Amino acid sequence: MSDTNVGSESTILRLIVGLLYPFMLLFGFYVILNGHYTPGGGFQGGSVLASLFVARYVVYPVEDTDTEVLHAIQRVFLSLILIAPTVLLFTGLVARFPHYRGLYLTTMDVLIGVQVGFGLGVAVLRFAFFQGVGKTWRL
Amino acid sequence: MRMIASALLVLTVFVVVTVVTNRNRVELEPLMYEYMIHNFEEDTHARNAVAAILLNYRMYDTMFEALILLTAIIGMKQFLPRESDIQAGKEHSRE
Repeated sequence: MSDTNVGSESTILRLIVGLLYPFMLLFGFYVILNGHYTPGGGFQGGSVLASLFVARYVVYPVEDTDTEVLHAIQRVFLSLILIAPTVLLFTGLVARFPHYRGLYLTTMDVLIGVQVGFGLGVAVLRFAFFQGVGKTWRL
Repeated sequence: MRMIASALLVLTVFVVVTVVTNRNRVELEPLMYEYMIHNFEEDTHARNAVAAILLNYRMYDTMFEALILLTAIIGMKQFLPRESDIQAGKEHSRE
């Protein structure tokens, strides 16, 4: 009984999630890239991107994603988040070249968005495939 | 008895702190946020004040916010091991 999965057996759920998947990706990057014009930004868009991992888990709950790789990518982007403002903002480069201020904001938003997306993805997959004491959470 | 005493202690501290802070209230001039509201567009080229503050005026805050996520994930990896991690740990301790 515990092996039955609503998500992997339901055709409706599979079709709907498959249909919505590219739109979730698009919406996430829309929120990230328009962070400095409209409400939103890196953290919010990254959370939307992390919902891709949740949708994939709901439909296909098999542990074939290596969370170590995701965590490594997240750490790379985190170090870029720490390096980029130190080099660009704190040294006054952005203030000296006002033409590139928008580019700086977009770059930071993309970095933060990808970092938050992968980070929350790692967290979600860790909780979903937790095999220790107790039972794995299933839909 | 001990619970009543600790509750009284907490209540006394709360009342004292409230009274002291209310008697020595300092009215600060709202210089910083007025400057941000009026100048964020020329300063940062952002049309969204939240993005301007997060990515320019308060960049340190954003950097450490990102570090908090890393800390949370490291804790999660430590306390929610996968099946393969448990197997590897057992084999490691057996050797």
